[in-house]
Amino acid sequence: MMKVWEVYPLRVAFLSIPAALLISAVAITLLPPSVSFWVSGAVFVFSAFLFVAYAWGRHAGGLLVAPAIALLFIMNIFPLLWSFGLSFFHYRANRLAPPRFAGLHYYEKVLTDPVVWDRLQVTAQLVVLTVSLQMIVGFLLAMLFAKQFPLRRVLLILVLTPMMLSFVAVGAFFRYYYEPTFGLLSQAVRVFTGEPFVLLQSTAGAIAGIVFADAWMWSPFVMLLVLAGLVSVPKYLYEAASIDRISHWRRFWNITFPYVRSLLMLALLFRTIEAFKLFDVVFLLTEGGPGTSTETIAVYVYRVSFQYFKTSESAALAYILLFTVIVLTNLYLYFANQRNRT
Amino acid sequence: MSTIEATNLTKTFGSFTAVRDVDMSVGEGEVVCLLGPSGCGKTTTLRMIAGLESVTEGEVKIGGRVMNKLPPEKRDIAMVFQFYALYPSVSIGGNIEMPLYHLGLSAEERRQEVARVAEILQLGEVLERLPGQLSEGEKQRAAVARAIVRDPNCFLFDEPLSRLDVEQRHSMRGQIKEVLSGLSKATVIVTHDQMEALTMANRIAIMRDGMIEQIGTPHEVFSQPRNVFVAGFIGSPKMNLLDGRLLTVKDGKATIELGADSVVFPVPAAAEALVESHLTIGIRPRALEPVDSPSERSLTGQVELIEPMGAETLVHVRDEDERDLRVVLPRERKVKPGEVLHLACDLTQTHIFDDSGLAVR
Amino acid sequence: MSATDKKSLAERLGLKVYSGVGNAGWGRTLFAAVISFIYFFPVFWIILTAFKTHNDALAIPPKFIFSPTFENFVAVFSRAYSAGAAAQDTGFALYFFNSVFIAGTSVLLALAIGTLAAFGFSRYPLRGNDTYLFIILTTRMLPAIVVIIPIFLMFRVAGLSGTYIGVILLYTAFNLPFTIWMMKSFFDELSPDVEDAARIDGSSDRRVFFKICLPQVKAGLAATAVFGLILTWNEFLFALLLTGVDTRTVPVAMAQTIGGDIGVRWGLLAAIETLFLIPVIVVTFMLQNHLLRGVTFGTIKR
Ligand SMILES: Nc1ncnc2c1ncn2[C@@H]1O[C@H](COP(=O)(O)OP(=O)(O)OP(=O)(O)O)[C@@H](O)[C@H]1O
Ligand SMILES: [Mg+2]
Repeated sequence: MMKVWEVYPLRVAFLSIPAALLISAVAITLLPPSVSFWVSGAVFVFSAFLFVAYAWGRHAGGLLVAPAIALLFIMNIFPLLWSFGLSFFHYRANRLAPPRFAGLHYYEKVLTDPVVWDRLQVTAQLVVLTVSLQMIVGFLLAMLFAKQFPLRRVLLILVLTPMMLSFVAVGAFFRYYYEPTFGLLSQAVRVFTGEPFVLLQSTAGAIAGIVFADAWMWSPFVMLLVLAGLVSVPKYLYEAASIDRISHWRRFWNITFPYVRSLLMLALLFRTIEAFKLFDVVFLLTEGGPGTSTETIAVYVYRVSFQYFKTSESAALAYILLFTVIVLTNLYLYFANQRNRT
Repeated sequence: MSTIEATNLTKTFGSFTAVRDVDMSVGEGEVVCLLGPSGCGKTTTLRMIAGLESVTEGEVKIGGRVMNKLPPEKRDIAMVFQFYALYPSVSIGGNIEMPLYHLGLSAEERRQEVARVAEILQLGEVLERLPGQLSEGEKQRAAVARAIVRDPNCFLFDEPLSRLDVEQRHSMRGQIKEVLSGLSKATVIVTHDQMEALTMANRIAIMRDGMIEQIGTPHEVFSQPRNVFVAGFIGSPKMNLLDGRLLTVKDGKATIELGADSVVFPVPAAAEALVESHLTIGIRPRALEPVDSPSERSLTGQVELIEPMGAETLVHVRDEDERDLRVVLPRERKVKPGEVLHLACDLTQTHIFDDSGLAVR
Repeated sequence: MSATDKKSLAERLGLKVYSGVGNAGWGRTLFAAVISFIYFFPVFWIILTAFKTHNDALAIPPKFIFSPTFENFVAVFSRAYSAGAAAQDTGFALYFFNSVFIAGTSVLLALAIGTLAAFGFSRYPLRGNDTYLFIILTTRMLPAIVVIIPIFLMFRVAGLSGTYIGVILLYTAFNLPFTIWMMKSFFDELSPDVEDAARIDGSSDRRVFFKICLPQVKAGLAATAVFGLILTWNEFLFALLLTGVDTRTVPVAMAQTIGGDIGVRWGLLAAIETLFLIPVIVVTFMLQNHLLRGVTFGTIKR
C-alpha cells in the first residue's frame, strides 16, 4: 500500500506548517508553558522532518539548508511568531495572570500614542545625523587608505579598532570623556574658555554626543566597504585617464564613483537599519536624557517591556517597527535596482 | 613635430631587468612595431614611453623634448590599451569625448569631433551604449576612436588586435593602417603577431629578453636577419636552422658538413675565419626545392608528415640525422609519406650564422 | 640615481599622485599616521587609563605622563571588594574563557551551518528562493528586544537559561543570516566551469564542495568570520538576560563593574576593555588580507 507521504510528499510537508502553527497556538493558550513549549517544539521538529524526508535524495539543496533553517526557526522565527501572538493578548511578563485576548487593541494604542511618534522623531533625527556623518567620514577615510603605502596595514588596524570595542566600553568611556569636571572634552574646552564644558545637559549637546560616539564607532565599517570598492577599480582605467588628460574631478565621478556606488548603497542600508535600532550607546551614554530628548524608539521599547513590563504593548510596537524597516528596505532595494538597471 | 626617441632605455623591477638598453627612434609619420615573444618587455617599453612606468635609466624624447620626468598627462600622447580600458560606466560616445575636455572645446564642438571619428570607425550606431554592451570588435574600434579623436604628439598601441578573431583582425589592421597614414604621427605598435607587424609597420623592432635584437624594415628583418633568433622568429613557417661544421672555404665557396650531407655554399669572405668551427645554416622552407637527383647543394630525407595549407603544402621531411626539415611545396606537387626527397637549396635565401648566433655577412 | 626618482615636494608628501594609482610612498604614511592616530585617540586613551592609578585617571588636567602601574590588570582578576578586606577572585578568568568559548564556538558553528546553507541556496535554488533569503535577512532587522522576551521565556521553560548550549545556539542563529547572505554571494560568483569539469571527471558532490568550492571562498569565510566575531564578542543584551553566573561573558561583567558606590573605577574598566580588545585585534590583523577582498568579492555585484 502506498503511504500518503509517498504520493503527495510536498503537499504533506507544506500542510504540516499551518498544522504545526495551529497546534502550537492551541497548546500555548490551553496548556501551561512548560508543557506547551515541548509540544510545539515537537510539532515543528516533525514538520521539519517531513521536509527532510521529502528532500532526501531529491533535493540535496534542501538538506544543506535544513540545519540552518531549523536553527533559525527555533531561535528566531518561533520567538518572533510567539511575540506576534502576544501582541494580540493582554499579557505582562512579570505577572502570572494568563493571557487574555485583546485583538488589535495594542496596535491601536501604539499607533495613536503621541509618545511613540515623538520617539520616532528623535530616532529619525539621530539616524539621519549619525548615518550621514558615518558615510562622510568613512568615505574620506577610505580615500586616505585607497593607495598602497608603507605601514598601511598597521594604520588600517588602528582605524578599525573603534568598531571592535564593546558597546559597554564605548558608552562608558564617552561618558568619561564628556564628563564636565575631569573629562577630556571639558578639559580641552576649558583651555580656551576657562569654564568647564557640560555637553550632555542640553538636548543638542546630548544628540551631538551620541552622534559623535556612534559615528566614531561605525565609520570604520563604512570605510571598509568603500575601501573594498576603491581597491577594486582596475588600475588601467586610471592609466587611460591620465593618458586622456581627464581632470581629477571627472576621474572621480566617471571612474571611481561607479565602482564604489553599490557598496556605498549597501553601507547605507546596513548602517540605517542598525542606527534605527540604536540602543546600547544611547542607553549607556544619556539613558535617553536630558528628559526624554534622546530616547530612541529602541530605548523606548526596552523601557516599555522591561521597566513597565507592558509585554504585549512592546510586542505590538516592535512589530510596527519591523514592518516599517521591511517596507523601507524593500523600497530602498527597489529603487537601488531600478537605478542599476537603467 | 611628432617623433619618439628612446636612448639606452632600461627598466628594472627589483633585481629583474625587464628592458635593457633599448635604442629606438620613430620618425614623423612612421609606424614602428615592437615584436617579440611573451614577456620580452614590449609592454614595459611602451609604458615607459607613455610615462606610465618610471624609467630606470636612459632617456625618452617625444617631439624632441626629454620627457623622463613628465607624467603621462603632460606628454600629449594617445594610447590604445591591450584590454581597451574603456571607462565602464560611461557611454561609448562619452568615452570618445573624454580626451576632448582638456582642450576646452564647447559641447557642440566636442559632439562634432566624436561624430567625425565615429564615422571613420563606423561606431555611429553604438555611441549611446555602455562598453559592456559591445562586441569585442566594436570595443576595439571605440578604443582606437578615443585615441585618434584629438591631435596628440604620437600614438602608442599595445597589442591592439590581440582579442579579435582572424577576420576582424584582418579588417581592423587595414582600418588602423588607413587612419594612421592620414595622420603622419610617430606611432609605436606592440604586437606578438608577425603578420600584423609585417603588414602595418614601416619598421619592425624585434625584442627578446628586454633587448632589441634587430630593428629594420619588414623586408630587412625578413631577408637579412641579424642573428639566429630573428631568423627563427620572423617568417612562417619557421626557418629551418641546421647545425653544421664549416670544413673548407675555397674561392668564396664553403663546404659545410650537415650531418650525413655535405653541401657547398657560396659564402662571404668573412667566413674564412670560421673554418673548422660550428655554425648554423638557416634555410627558409620556401627556399628548398625537390630535385630528381642529389647534388652538392642538396639535402636528402624521407617525407614524414604533410600539412596542407591551402595554396601550398607544408611537408615535414626527416633527414638521416633525424632532423626535421620544413619544406613548402606548391599544391600541385604531390608527395606521399615515406617518399625520399632530394631538396636543393636556393643559395640566395640561405643564411649562415656563426657559433655565437650572429649572421655572417 | 635615475632622473625620475627626483620628485617634487608635493609628490614626496604623497599629496600629489603621480599616475592616479599605486604607491603613494612615505609621505602618505605620515599623513595617514596623523589621521589614524587622531581617530585612534579615544582607544589610546582607554589603554593609557588602564595603566593609571585611580587618582591619575581623574586628574585635572589629564595626565599624559605618569608612572604606569599594573595594579588595574591585577585587580581585574583579583581584588578586595571593600577597603581592608582580603583580595578575592573576581571570576574574570572564567568570564574571559566564557567569551572566547561562546563567541568562538558560535562563530565557527554559524560558519559551518551557514556555508552549507549558502551553498544549498546558491546551487540548488528552491522555488521562492529569494523569499526565503529575504525572510532570513529580516530576522536581523528587528531590534533584539522584540525576540528577547519569548526567547527568555522559552529558555526558562526549556531549562536552557544560563547554559552554554543555550547561548551558543542563540548566537549561532544570530550570526546565521549574515553568514548565509555573505557566503551565498560568494558561491554565486564562482565560475561553474571548474565544478562542472570536476563533476565530469567523476568527483562526488562532497568532493566538489570541499576541494573546489570551499578553497575559492576562503577570503569570504575570513571576512564573515571577522564580522561575526566582532558582533558576537561584544554582544550585550542577550548575554545580560540569558547567561548565568557561570556562563557570564565579559561585556556583562564589565557593565556590572561600572556600578558601585565609589563611582566608576575607570582604570579597572579600561584594563578589562584593553584585555578584551586584544583577541579581536589579533584575529582581525591575521585575517586582514582576506578582509578587503572578502568584502568586495561578496558584495560588488549586488
Ligand atoms: N610591475 C612589474 N613587476 C615585476 N616584474 C614585471 C612587472 N611588469 C612586468 N614585469 C616583468 O617584465 C617582463 C616584461 O614584461 P612585459 O609586460 O613588458 O612583457 P610583454 O613583452 O608585453 O609580454 P606579453 O606579450 O605577454 O604582453 C616580464 O617578465 C614581466 O614578468
Ligand atoms: Mg604585453
